[in-house]
Amino acid sequence: MELFMEQLPIVVRSLNVGFLQTLKLFFVTLIGAFPLGLIIAFGSMSRFKPLSFFTRIIVWVFRGTPLMIQLLIIYYFPGLVLHNPIWGGGESGRFLAASVSFILNYACYFSEIYRGGIQGVPIGQEEAGLVLGMTKSQIFFKVTLLQMIKRIVPPMSNEIITLVKDTSLARIIALQEIIWAGQAFMKGSQGISGAIWPLFFTAIYYLVCNGILTLLLGALEKKLDYFR
Amino acid sequence: MKKKLIALLVSAAMLSLTLCSGVLAEDSESDLAYVQEKGTLVVGITNFEPMDYLDENGEWIGFDADMAKAFAESLGVDVEFVEIDWDNKILELDGKTIDCVWNGMTLTDEVTSAMECSNAYCKNAQIVVIPATVSTDYQSADDLADLSFAAEAGSAGEAVLNDLGLNVTPVKAQTDALMEVSAGTSDAAVIDSLMAAAMVGEGTSYEDLTTSIELSSEEYGVGFRKGSDLAEELNKFFEESFQSGETMKVAETYGLQLAVIGDDAEAETESETEALTE
Repeated sequence: MELFMEQLPIVVRSLNVGFLQTLKLFFVTLIGAFPLGLIIAFGSMSRFKPLSFFTRIIVWVFRGTPLMIQLLIIYYFPGLVLHNPIWGGGESGRFLAASVSFILNYACYFSEIYRGGIQGVPIGQEEAGLVLGMTKSQIFFKVTLLQMIKRIVPPMSNEIITLVKDTSLARIIALQEIIWAGQAFMKGSQGISGAIWPLFFTAIYYLVCNGILTLLLGALEKKLDYFR
Repeated sequence: MKKKLIALLVSAAMLSLTLCSGVLAEDSESDLAYVQEKGTLVVGITNFEPMDYLDENGEWIGFDADMAKAFAESLGVDVEFVEIDWDNKILELDGKTIDCVWNGMTLTDEVTSAMECSNAYCKNAQIVVIPATVSTDYQSADDLADLSFAAEAGSAGEAVLNDLGLNVTPVKAQTDALMEVSAGTSDAAVIDSLMAAAMVGEGTSYEDLTTSIELSSEEYGVGFRKGSDLAEELNKFFEESFQSGETMKVAETYGLQLAVIGDDAEAETESETEALTE
């Protein structure tokens, strides 16, 4: 117990640094994937057949392969095959490559949720807009979009909570997020070696973070209730 | 409509081709030139005391880290240390995200077949420690059969004793193994030679013990991309640094002076390659 109390501040400091990286990846992914997902959703709903075919192929590839493999390919492929390591070896390059992989992957999942949300808005809403003489873009932004947002909050919450945990996959390209930081104490780091508990301790960080997110997303869902 | 579509597809294909050729860099024939051109030697490491580890200021130090800094300086480039996933070290090298693996890497078959390795620069061994009074009776592995050994549980020393079918008592730490011998509860101990050098013999806490035969040994080397000319460059650097006494100075800082391999080993490998070319 005494040893634990001695190790705790060192471990917590190190895990905090790792968790900051986890959160950074989480927010960057959301900021990138929210708009990109919408663009992909429009692409796959396009009446221009080659475009919708092309987008659906991309969605199929990104949803059909493990994110871990995507990370490995996006990070190592430029250097291995094109002989031009565009990301570089440093921590910032690894973060950038991880961000790109996560944004692309999550945008594809989001796009399907958006598509469901848009297509779920009754056709009568659009027709009413047309009768009132609104343009297509007016109809989308003033009529469809808000109703879509209300519909997609529950499935989006699901994806967002999964994303918090999925960030741990980025350790495969040596991005030093919280699991990496926890695992370091097993082998030895900062005078602590052979300690297994820091790795399990990381679960508390995820749990607290997801608890807060669940509350926030629940509140958002309530706020959007008036559309009913 | 169809014509438009074909035109679109063709232009898309052209665009992607030009993009590809844009990012496809010329493969420079020399790795040395490549590193000097970009101005940084990226060194792949893990946190491994006393080879590469962080000091209080968050700077990488250690025997390997200090030698890597000196080597980069001799090439006229900066050094950048990057923590990697040890399982992905070959991927990192070939993907050019790092330029070398310099982290107390044991020269195993896996490593030497996938990387261009430098000469061994450091050595670690599992070594038998016995009371000095009886050491002359035990000069070969065959003499050990009737001894009882103490070794750290899960260590390489325990593994090699089990392989030899010898009688082992697993203890909690290497220091406990020494205590067992000192107290006479075990006849001998097997610990690693780096530790033995620091703890056994005259002027140490175990003056009545001595080191005897080596049961297994491993050598450390630096790995570069397959076919890289940097390995040869590093061998030259090691030789110069050893002769000027610089290597020993760094080794003493980290207590590795007995593990460093200098001239002799290089002469050995040279004669080996000579024999091969003949």
